[in-house]
Amino acid sequence: MWWYLRARLLLWLLRVTGRAIRWAVLVAVLIAAAPVTIVAAVGFAGAWLRGWPPARLRRSAVWALPMTGVYLAGRALQVHTWQALALAPVYDWRHAWHQVAAGRVVTAFALTAPVAVPAGLFVAAGLWAWRLYAVENGLAGKTATAPVVFDARQWRRASRAARGRVTAPGTFPLADRRGRVVMGATVRTVGHRWRPVTAVPYAAMSRHQVIIGSSGCGKTNLMMRSWAGWYAAALADHHQHGAPRPLLIVLDCKGGPDARTKANRTRTLLHGAGARRVAIWPDEATVSVWNLPPADLAVTLFQLIETGTGDAAYYADLTQAVLTLAVTAPPGPPADGAAFLDRLEPGWLEAAYAGDRSRLGAVAAARRSLGDVSLRYRTLLSRLGPGLDGPGMLADADAWYFILEGTREQSVAEAQAMAITELVAHAATSRAAEPRAILLACDDYSAVSGRVPLWQLYERGRSLGVGVQVSAQSWQGLGRDDDERRRICATADGGIWLMRTPYPQPISELAGTRRVIETATKVLGGVWGDEGSSRIQHAWTADPGIARRLATGQAGYIHGGGCTWVQIARPRPSPLPLPPPPPEPVVIPAVQEPARPTAGVPAGPPPDLNDVFGPETRQ
Amino acid sequence: MTSTPDPFTALGLPVRPDLTDERVRTAWRQVATATHPDRPDGGDPARYAAASAAYAILRTAWGRSEACADLATAPPLTGRIVPAAGVPATPPGLARWRAAAVIPARIWHGRPVRLAVRIAAAVVLAVLAMHTSAGTPATAGLVTGVGVWLALTVRADLAPPPGR
Repeated sequence: MWWYLRARLLLWLLRVTGRAIRWAVLVAVLIAAAPVTIVAAVGFAGAWLRGWPPARLRRSAVWALPMTGVYLAGRALQVHTWQALALAPVYDWRHAWHQVAAGRVVTAFALTAPVAVPAGLFVAAGLWAWRLYAVENGLAGKTATAPVVFDARQWRRASRAARGRVTAPGTFPLADRRGRVVMGATVRTVGHRWRPVTAVPYAAMSRHQVIIGSSGCGKTNLMMRSWAGWYAAALADHHQHGAPRPLLIVLDCKGGPDARTKANRTRTLLHGAGARRVAIWPDEATVSVWNLPPADLAVTLFQLIETGTGDAAYYADLTQAVLTLAVTAPPGPPADGAAFLDRLEPGWLEAAYAGDRSRLGAVAAARRSLGDVSLRYRTLLSRLGPGLDGPGMLADADAWYFILEGTREQSVAEAQAMAITELVAHAATSRAAEPRAILLACDDYSAVSGRVPLWQLYERGRSLGVGVQVSAQSWQGLGRDDDERRRICATADGGIWLMRTPYPQPISELAGTRRVIETATKVLGGVWGDEGSSRIQHAWTADPGIARRLATGQAGYIHGGGCTWVQIARPRPSPLPLPPPPPEPVVIPAVQEPARPTAGVPAGPPPDLNDVFGPETRQ
Repeated sequence: MTSTPDPFTALGLPVRPDLTDERVRTAWRQVATATHPDRPDGGDPARYAAASAAYAILRTAWGRSEACADLATAPPLTGRIVPAAGVPATPPGLARWRAAAVIPARIWHGRPVRLAVRIAAAVVLAVLAMHTSAGTPATAGLVTGVGVWLALTVRADLAPPPGR
């Protein structure tokens, strides 16, 4: 019995002694490598407090390597053998301990810093990566909720750090030197490479993108930054590599007083990005739908009105025939709405097709319905207003901001949106006009998607080489049914911007999952035991829980099987004046184009004397 | 579009598309008050007419945008366009000079106080390193490290370059 007790006691003492020796060796190593220990501890604490990922520490360590290089180069001048050079840090380390003994701690640290700083940061990165791994996989933490609490705390800290960084003006220009659109400060990455600044390649902005975020989540800032950044990057590409000039077209599909404020802000931003002509439609500028090629114009005019199906097909065919006769008449297409309505008269059509027996026969057959068709189009054109009646072309400006009153007058706004998308298609495909890089941005497009469904707009944009960016306030706002919504999101090869929204699951499903280790630990008698099991599980790439809780201005950029959570920087134009534009490309005057009216600029009333001296004058 | 060569000059305004309505109106009022033909001294009818025409152009934001573009752009392009692919419009050397020339303005419009504090901190650290271990390779390494840190962080306090 005594023998057994003595043996147990001896074993216990051996175990305790072994542990004590291990700790003593560890403490001795930490003290011996004090400079590295201090840097590693500071780096680890900084990462913990600021919510940094290990990549942030590794980047710092890499950027600290030049000091090591210079130090070694200096040492190489003093010693002449490789062995001596390799041992130089050891000699300096030994010398540093003498300095510490003499009370010169700062000098001691300065002697060892060129090696200790990068080494310490690399060690901190490794330790921090291990800590994150251990907590995420249930290998660390005192309670079952430790991984959840740890993750939430690190998210808060990373968000706070990102919010602080986006106020730096120089870190977040609209576009960077490599032609990428700078969006904001990175909070967290999943499946993407971590970089402190999230920037989207200009080419991705030129493809299709979807933005989903509820009201008040900072969607407007994100969109404006992407527009201005795209414009700045595309213009730089034009100046440097002769790429097509950019043309930005924004459809604000909800309208209202807010739209005017947004339009003016967008204009200021675009001026700062290098745009010279920024037109706001219909308040300040007009475009002419009558500039479309006659055949396209006839089709567009036909699609602008409801025609119905079934028995109504007869009237639809009749209307289309009349429109084709009126628009493709020998005198050329009508110059404006009034000229078009004049053509819906039997007399005009008979005179235009005099001598063409087959067409005259068509006119005679349609004579009875011409009055009805004319009445419908007179009503339509009066509802559409003068904004589409010209003068003006999309090519006249560098950017257009179209305000469609989709909330107030949905049917009118739908027709306007349809006509504008036709004009965009014409601008993208016209061979006579200068080729342009076009981005069509539709804010809350669902408000006007009755005539041209979003998926159709996307597919047309893809075939025409036009980048299409669409925003919606929710998943449901993207389309009529789930099939349509999924089709839109699945074809968004420029990425999806997910902001705060109460129903992010479908987007998270599209973003996919990643494999993680889930560890279960047994609870024995109310405390954690040391038994358990681990298994591979799937976790969201774009966590819907995070998407629901996003703060204002935060967004997730889902692209290429990964997600980058980012704090969007408020877009501000550079306060510096723009340099003079470089000379335009060479133009060979080959074909004399028919004279077109200039952009539809409202002349405005001439200034009168009352404006200066009259009683209404405000000082 | 433009009836006067430079409507901005006619009103004594800088050539900027982002002028406010109020600023244009104030400039017009000043010129008109000084040059109106009904003044006892007869005013300056020619200048008044030029200012009136300029105000008619510049009174709206779109008009200012147009006038600015008209001043900056050559005559409109017609005909076949030959893209200058692969040929940089601005020589790289000139671009670098331009970038260097705007640095003072970028400092002024950025966060100059923070920048000064940052530079002062870097200088203090460098001086401290040189003071404590002068002449050693470690000093050169430390000064290099401080320089790298300054170069990496100083951009945050500058205003973005023009057009970006």
